Amino acid sequence: MRVMRYLVIAVLLLLATGLLVFGPRANADRPKDRVVVSYWEKWTGNEAEQMKEIVNDFNATVGKEKGIYVEYLSMSNINQKTLVATAAGVPPDIAGLWDAQVAQFAAIDALEPLDDLAREHGIGEGYYKRVYWEACHYNGKLWALISTPAAVALHYNKRIFQENAAALRKAGLDPDGVPKTVEELDRYAEALDKLDARGRVDVAGYLPMEPGWFLVHTPYWFGGQLFDAEAQKFTADSPESVRAFTWVQSYSKRLGKDSMTEFRSGLGGFNSAQNAFLVGQVVMEQQGPWMANYIEDLAPKMNRRAFPKEQEKGMSVEERRRNYEWAAAPFPSAVPGLEKVTYTGFDVLVIPRGARHRKEAFEFIAYVNRQDVMEKLCALHCKNSPLTEVSEKFLREHPNPYIGVFEELAASPNAKPVPPVPIWPEVNEEMNNTIQQIYLLEKEPEPALREAQARLTEKWERFQALQRARGSTGVVAPGEGNGSEVRR
Amino acid sequence: MMRRAEWVSLGKGLGFLSPWIFGFLLFTAIPVGLSFYYSLCDYSLLQAPLYIGLQNYRDLMADPVFWKVLVNTFKYAVMALPAGMVVSLGLALLLNAPIKGQAIYRTIIFLPSLVPTVASAMLWLWLFNAKLGLINTILRWFGIEGPGWLTMPQWAMPALAMMSLWGVGHTVVIYLAGLQDVPKDLYEAAELDGVGPLSRLRNVTLPMISPVIFFNLVMAIIGTLQVFAIPFIMTQGGPARATYFFTMYLYDNAFQYLKMGYASAMAWIQLVIILCLTGIAFWSSKRWVHYQGA
Repeated sequence: MRVMRYLVIAVLLLLATGLLVFGPRANADRPKDRVVVSYWEKWTGNEAEQMKEIVNDFNATVGKEKGIYVEYLSMSNINQKTLVATAAGVPPDIAGLWDAQVAQFAAIDALEPLDDLAREHGIGEGYYKRVYWEACHYNGKLWALISTPAAVALHYNKRIFQENAAALRKAGLDPDGVPKTVEELDRYAEALDKLDARGRVDVAGYLPMEPGWFLVHTPYWFGGQLFDAEAQKFTADSPESVRAFTWVQSYSKRLGKDSMTEFRSGLGGFNSAQNAFLVGQVVMEQQGPWMANYIEDLAPKMNRRAFPKEQEKGMSVEERRRNYEWAAAPFPSAVPGLEKVTYTGFDVLVIPRGARHRKEAFEFIAYVNRQDVMEKLCALHCKNSPLTEVSEKFLREHPNPYIGVFEELAASPNAKPVPPVPIWPEVNEEMNNTIQQIYLLEKEPEPALREAQARLTEKWERFQALQRARGSTGVVAPGEGNGSEVRR
Repeated sequence: MMRRAEWVSLGKGLGFLSPWIFGFLLFTAIPVGLSFYYSLCDYSLLQAPLYIGLQNYRDLMADPVFWKVLVNTFKYAVMALPAGMVVSLGLALLLNAPIKGQAIYRTIIFLPSLVPTVASAMLWLWLFNAKLGLINTILRWFGIEGPGWLTMPQWAMPALAMMSLWGVGHTVVIYLAGLQDVPKDLYEAAELDGVGPLSRLRNVTLPMISPVIFFNLVMAIIGTLQVFAIPFIMTQGGPARATYFFTMYLYDNAFQYLKMGYASAMAWIQLVIILCLTGIAFWSSKRWVHYQGA
């Protein structure tokens, strides 16, 4: 018995020693002769792998040449983890955040300014499309550079348009065309709506709430905005906002609130083969350029309408577009003459305050922003480019044959980003609640927006007062916008 | 005066306790103390805390969302707590009956509480689906057009309260343990006196398991007032904040809006509310909780 016990202990000790000697090493992949730059990124799945490809390219080329090695870690809840790590004094050298965090983190001194580094690398105002360059600034300083950007456009199902050609023509609409105004969009939507035997919505021509990710930015298409960066004040109850959200509410009134909520609750998840747009339950919707990738993954037939995918090689964009059941066009505006309006969301790379390898980290950020690298990443992620210069190859070979539409939208003077407000996450929540109350017919748009405006103003003034009390520079004075204009 | 041997003994005792003492101080006592200080500050984690006295508490009193989430949380507690108590006790009484296949029934009742929270939430999202969900499909067989359970503000809260019954398995097990502890001779004596089943339940079973009921009540008060994961996954507080609860708003303030001071003030208010309600439960327990041998 005793022998058995010693034998078991010996085997366990042997295993433990083996694990210690031959087991995995946390730093095994790190080259000893290079500066290791830690990079945390929010993407998971395919997008994370695609960024990993860029990181590997860097490590094998520029990184090798300059003695830098980027250690890439993909994770969820990155904003919280970055913040906690920064507060603890052990931040990553680079963090991949969302657009709304630029002003929020900059205002609380969580980021390193990048102006000097960008200048050294020749990255300046003209290098970027205006909307992205401005959105990377807050209070006169550059805090981030783009990793991948986007712009939103109207996506519509050409096949369903054709199947309903008679109904569209009867309504005086062109089945080969696309809505040019909000009023026309409403008419298209009504002609394409289908009700079931109970009189409930079965197919929606268009529904502002589906997927509804950009509802809060609806005033942009009505000539308004939620925040006036020049005056540094909210404008949630402006006539344009009231008009915008009255339009959103009109869909609940026309289709019936119960019918609309029931219809929405029956729709499949976005990243599933039951996605409402992919199965034709919603004929038109507001989406970004990434939609082409989702369609390719979840409903590949929609991208092979006329011929096999391989035949697209070498074709012109116009020829390629014939192979797609769907199309993208600028989302119509409600204001005559106001064209190519879009909301531009984007992902950013930042250097958290206290990062140990600021210069080396920026080498990687600058590498990502090199035109060829940026175009590779944006093509992989199925996004448009944030840069002013876009190669012909990028436009021709991009997985989204309508990428030109998004490029034009992003370059338009009517492209608008997330407002440069440090309290944007709170504002967004407040506005989303208000919008839900409006489209669930719980409140009329005007009083609901007036209340929201009062609450937002109160929160904003309180934030500014506290920032002033602590002597922070994170407050923008009226007339300065987000500061990027001051630099010009 | 302590003798040398006693000092040595004390030292040894404290030495063995020291991992817990350090752990408690470092991870509980100091953070709790700091959170009270931060509740008196404007604090974003990155900037130094700015002392603002009771301003966070004053702001909370004037914050309509604070009152909304507080009312929502109480509404949920009023629906979920009694329903959970009655259903779990009822199930425990049924499962305590000596019937064939008792172990199987007990397993079936307990199983749902082993399902991970996220999986349960996804399952119930489909059950509550207004168009394709099982609940509305069954209602349709009887000619009833079911509501949009999670998409209509007036139905979302009752739906979540209904769903909370899915996880009563743990409570049922505790009740069962209590029921099996009731001395058989009390039932025999009652039976000899000609007492009926309902009267036996009222005069024997309930008083004898009253300490268990009390324990479950206190746990349920704490649990329902801290509800977070299920609504966070299923409704994100919507529609129109109908299921936006206290802990969710606290979390948003801390980690989305980076208002740690405001969130700390909320946490202290939550603690006081739970303490008061638990205190009331303890105070009332003198009248209805009977301990064996007391």
